[in-house]
Amino acid sequence: MNVTAKLRETIRELFSADKVDVFLAWEEGSLPMSSTPLFITDGAQADRAIFDPRCGNNLSVYFTKDSRQFRGKRVGIAVKGCDARSLVLNIQENQVLRDMVVIVGVPCNGVIDGKKIRRRTGGKQVTEVMENGDSVTLKGPEFSITLDRSEVLSSSCLRCVHPDATEYDVFLGEARAEVGNENRRKALDEVEALSSAQRWERTRKEYEKCIRCYACRNVCPSCYCSECFVDQNDPQWIGGTCDVTDTVIFHLIRNLHVAGRCVECGACARACPMDIDLLLLNLKTAEEIKKRFGDTAGIRIDGRPVMAEFREDEKQEFIMG
Amino acid sequence: MSEWQPRILAILCNWCSYAGADLAGVSRIQYPPNIRVVRVPCSGRVDPLFILKSLQAGFDGVLVSGCHPGDCHYISGNYVARRRFAILKPLLEFVGIEPDRVQFSWISAGEGERFATVVTKVVEDVRKLGPSKRIVKKA
Amino acid sequence: MKKSRNSVLVLGAGIAGIQASLDLAEMGVGVHLVEGTPTIGGRMPQLDKTFPTNDCSMCILSPKMSECVRHPLITLHIKSSLEKIEGAPGDFRCTVIERAKYVDPVKCVSCGLCEEKCPVKIDDVFDEGLRKTKAISRYFLQSIPSEYTINAGHCLYLTKGVCRLCEKVCPTGAINYGDMDREIELNVNAVILATGIDPYDPIGFGHFGYRRYSNVVTSLEFERMLSASGPLSGHVARASDGRAPENIAFIQCVGSRDISIDRNYCSSACCMFAIKQSIIAREHNRDLSATIFYMDIRAFGKDFDRYYEKAQEQYGVEFVRSKVAEVRELRNGNLELKYTFENGDIQHREFDMVVLSIGLQPRAGSRELSGKLDIGLNRFGFCRSDTFRPLNTTRDGVFVCGAMNGPKDNPESVVSASGAVAGAMEYLDAARYEPSAGGGGVPEKHVTGERPRIGVFVCHCGINIAGVVDVKDVAAYAAGLPNVEHAENVVYACSTDCLETIKSRVAEHDLNRVVVAACTPRTHEPLFRQTISEAGLNPYLFEMANIRDQCSWAHMDEPEQATSKSKDLVEMAVAKARGLTPLERLPIEIDPEALVIGGGLSGMSAALSIADAGHDVYLVERAEDLGGNMRDIFFNFDGSDPQEFLSGLIDRVLGHNRIKVWRKASIEDITGYVGNFRTKLTGESGELEELSHGAVVVATGGQEHETEEYQYGRSSRVVTQKEFERMLHDGSFPAGRLREVVMIQCVGSREEGRMYCSRICCSKAVKNALQLRKRKPRANIYFAVRDVRTYGFAEEHYSELRDSGALFFRYTPDSKPTAELIDPEDPHSRVRVTVLDPVLEKEVVIDADLLVLATAIDALPENLKLARMLKVPLNSDGMFLEAHVKLRPVDFATEGIFVCGLAHGPKDMSESLVQARAAAGRALTFLRKKSILAEGTIAEVRRERCSGCGYCQAVCAYSAIEVDPEEQVAVVNDALCKGCGACVASCRCGALDLRGFSNIQLYSVFNSLVRETAEGVVN
Repeated sequence: MNVTAKLRETIRELFSADKVDVFLAWEEGSLPMSSTPLFITDGAQADRAIFDPRCGNNLSVYFTKDSRQFRGKRVGIAVKGCDARSLVLNIQENQVLRDMVVIVGVPCNGVIDGKKIRRRTGGKQVTEVMENGDSVTLKGPEFSITLDRSEVLSSSCLRCVHPDATEYDVFLGEARAEVGNENRRKALDEVEALSSAQRWERTRKEYEKCIRCYACRNVCPSCYCSECFVDQNDPQWIGGTCDVTDTVIFHLIRNLHVAGRCVECGACARACPMDIDLLLLNLKTAEEIKKRFGDTAGIRIDGRPVMAEFREDEKQEFIMG
Repeated sequence: MSEWQPRILAILCNWCSYAGADLAGVSRIQYPPNIRVVRVPCSGRVDPLFILKSLQAGFDGVLVSGCHPGDCHYISGNYVARRRFAILKPLLEFVGIEPDRVQFSWISAGEGERFATVVTKVVEDVRKLGPSKRIVKKA
Repeated sequence: MKKSRNSVLVLGAGIAGIQASLDLAEMGVGVHLVEGTPTIGGRMPQLDKTFPTNDCSMCILSPKMSECVRHPLITLHIKSSLEKIEGAPGDFRCTVIERAKYVDPVKCVSCGLCEEKCPVKIDDVFDEGLRKTKAISRYFLQSIPSEYTINAGHCLYLTKGVCRLCEKVCPTGAINYGDMDREIELNVNAVILATGIDPYDPIGFGHFGYRRYSNVVTSLEFERMLSASGPLSGHVARASDGRAPENIAFIQCVGSRDISIDRNYCSSACCMFAIKQSIIAREHNRDLSATIFYMDIRAFGKDFDRYYEKAQEQYGVEFVRSKVAEVRELRNGNLELKYTFENGDIQHREFDMVVLSIGLQPRAGSRELSGKLDIGLNRFGFCRSDTFRPLNTTRDGVFVCGAMNGPKDNPESVVSASGAVAGAMEYLDAARYEPSAGGGGVPEKHVTGERPRIGVFVCHCGINIAGVVDVKDVAAYAAGLPNVEHAENVVYACSTDCLETIKSRVAEHDLNRVVVAACTPRTHEPLFRQTISEAGLNPYLFEMANIRDQCSWAHMDEPEQATSKSKDLVEMAVAKARGLTPLERLPIEIDPEALVIGGGLSGMSAALSIADAGHDVYLVERAEDLGGNMRDIFFNFDGSDPQEFLSGLIDRVLGHNRIKVWRKASIEDITGYVGNFRTKLTGESGELEELSHGAVVVATGGQEHETEEYQYGRSSRVVTQKEFERMLHDGSFPAGRLREVVMIQCVGSREEGRMYCSRICCSKAVKNALQLRKRKPRANIYFAVRDVRTYGFAEEHYSELRDSGALFFRYTPDSKPTAELIDPEDPHSRVRVTVLDPVLEKEVVIDADLLVLATAIDALPENLKLARMLKVPLNSDGMFLEAHVKLRPVDFATEGIFVCGLAHGPKDMSESLVQARAAAGRALTFLRKKSILAEGTIAEVRRERCSGCGYCQAVCAYSAIEVDPEEQVAVVNDALCKGCGACVASCRCGALDLRGFSNIQLYSVFNSLVRETAEGVVN
């Protein structure tokens, strides 16, 4: 039985056991290669649910304060590894009560990045996607192309260490714990091999591309402030211009706002029209947090978010002796 | 034109570091006049935005100083601050802000001498780096 | 007893009198503060720095002086004397003579023209005669009140009928030669005497050459030389040739510990005074060498020994234990000291300058005063008080504080003042009152929405700032900044006349924000805030630029850069000021009950003082019985019986209808804040109880250090002083001969791990040794000591003991005595003690029948838990750390919590009693009020931005912010919030802000120095 089938069965069971009022999953999108969120309120609708590499949406976003439609309801939710981490964060951050959610983990091998595919197909319409081990075949009206998985998967997935949920009620398969991934360190090594001046040059070039469209923020599951600091004007901490100092500061502060909260889903990078490797800074911060505080965003359901905690004996070598 | 003088913003907590700075003065300990002090109640009040904004506004360096661990007038504000700085500092270095531009220290109300030493070091470090150019917003 | 009037007369306006007046006024009691000189302040303004923190004396005092003169309940009578007290306690009629001032204080604007023109030069008393003043003058530059007065004894017109120059030049017609002394009658409930001390006048000490040799000065004269505001502007110079001295000798005990002049008491403060002066002198001149000639260094106060260490280690001050026999002047004005060591060796050494560390003595005229007021004096002429009534004079209803009843340092004077106030409460009305809001009733101007109109006042602080910074240039620069409506220079921004100037400028220019560029907001912000509120502005519409402590003083050799930095600092302050908003202080109701933790002498005394003033007290003791450490004290120098006093005290506590006692109790939790504490405790029954109260007094005590040195615990003949005292009391001496008794001092004290003096052990050992003398007259008593610290009047008993034949051997940490058991198998073995006799320079071996160890006083390990519950700090020795070592000695930084007794640091019974009363007095300044006002600087929530994530709640150490689970927004408890801002910086949503340090204000500051040039931004 494939994952989609297992998911459908699980949904049906949850409804028939009266364990949920609503279930959040994915269904076929109106365009090829796409999926769209699905809210199921009746077990009979379960067969609309799917799970495959197109299901990039993080459904935990429906629990934040501003989307109140599920308040007071028992909600079932299908989660990939990163989605589950978001959900854990939502629970830690008072956005939803653990008791009110039934978490259904799905085994994830990465989601596709539409931008990458469009680039490889020259923007041609893809009507069919076929996974075949490490390769993926894309078919359209006039073409067929077979690519290595790494060429179509979201770069965040290529650097992923938590493919599966660590917190769940049901898991559709065998949940993997933290997995090794050399790509993370490699990406950071590339930058860290540079001198300070070279790094700044790199940063400048990368962020000069930013057009301040805020797609990264809008798509981020951890960015759920009612009003982003960058839109506030009392004070307006940084200018809304594309001046590189403004854009760098925006991205640095956004990084710090999601420090210990970024679940590395990569939605930001997938959404970026300018192809900025937005996740890189977040990997750096996540690594620092792991190294210093032994913690990873959205992994522990008990305890407080890492940046709202402290220990008295933390390492402080960065403070002048 | 006279020699370039670095201008450094020092964000000091009211109870320890600001008092330490006062003590340095009361004790007539001399240190370079390159710092401009902003008083905040606690290092826990310091938002990374303060630091980035100040660099963008053209300060050549930023020093943030609070009470020593255990001494915080507000019990744990400096611990909260320390965790924030612990990730801010490597992040800034990662994007290519010179490490010495942004420094942190703990200075108690009784450490006038230490305040002067810390300021002297920060000023010298920044002087070596020269005027800040990377994240300064041009008019 | 009539209590309707509710006022107290305080005689003497030094720091003790000022503190007493402020405490009384805070309790809603009217005060008549009667002072002989033309200013309040007493001795403190004469001091440059204070030990052991080197705080600037005037800087910490002047806010209190200003507060005192501005308090609506304090009536000041300067140049006045108290002549008579008639009537009964609770209903005294006091006769006060206000002497003629010859200048109308209402008309005088303190412009100083009169002084400039006055032809009569006289010695300036304040500057110890080191400079001249005029017959019309202010007592000193920062006198309060600031108006001029005429010295009738020197005025040409008043003495000879000629001159009248001052009258001619006075622009306001304030001179009134016809002014007369006035006798007034004041009806008060009680009287507090705080007339202080005089320095010993060494003129009688011909052999030290004072007044004959120009380079021999008193410590007070030297202090004025060191003072930046003194006649030499802090540049110490020799009178003979104006040269800066390179090496200075301090001679201790001049006028103290001297039987030949009937001053067989220790002045208690001079050792620390000399150490301070040597440190300060070294700071002025790094090449200077200072040598202190002394008998014992009596650094017995809290953190004093560390200061003493610092003088040696960091400042290279040399300490020479010897007796100076003679000072001889050499041709070049240098002075040759001849001094004798204990072993009789004589040495000579040459110095550039000699400072006589003069002692403290009763005020001139105290005998006359004691007659007039019918109060007793002790045999040295100090006001008489007893061990167990240390704040009472011999006359009921008349209390004493400060150094009037014996030498005291600054904090002790402050403590005794608050204690005397608690005593006076007995005669006052117990009704609680509702204090009026600040601003002296001036209605607040509405400024919200107005364009900022900022006034900038740039202070010279005499030459403190103006000597380095071009203050005129700074003011001119400020005047050109956007929104600055007015900028001007002021000589002393904090002086009463300048404060008046600020107020009138606010009116003239319709200012709605005020910036003062002067010293540090840490000391002076409250004063200026009060001032602008008197001018009708919300007190939070004020900002300071610290151009003294953090600029002129730190960049003395770089006037240009200091000036440019000052401009930046002013610009930053103006930037912040633009964004200031009026803040409201919300009233916090005060529960009238008090919790007292600890049922020893201090705790019980504090409880009684509070209960006697009409408040319910919850007294919590962890042991089975009340009494604490005092249960082990049986003797007193004055012959009074501590156990009799203690049992009386316990009876009073147990019988008091306002005191509820818990024994064998433990405190589980304390939450809340000033006025609204909640305490959970379990009593004897084991049942958890919850109490509400408005204040907390910490009186948990201390404990005897458990030593392992000197064979303690291995023979019944090795005992601590505490055990020895009990032995003396019940005769339970070890069996057999008791001829050789050795006492070792400083066991555990003043060494690594306990770098403090336990203060009471020397006097206790002397006391016990004298008791032993009575019981075993033939016993030989040997002491191994480092410094003998029988400060104050205990010195007499030390002399008595020495005269009785007790032998004292000095040891150092490197040459500690050793003790061996003569028969290690015998649990009652005698002990062979070996000490190095520095006089004979050889070892002395004593086979002791009894070895008595003066073990240190330790902090209780439990302090830590309590400190965490109360959110108050401990010092590095584990003792509770007060808010300010000099001027807030029983308060904590956290309001509503007070400390006394051994919990604060080692002290004797009398001192504990005084401090207990002080803690009670301070607690009453809150408890007597029905409500106080919360801070204005607190966090606030913008609900529409809050996502309820709870980071703020997680980082708040005070549980002052919580997420409402229903609304999913954070809510601040205004009374609990301490205003640290940790939550604000943790809030990524921008939903939180800190009033007074708001994002927009700070943003403006960070962005204020951007200068745009052709090259871009130059900062």
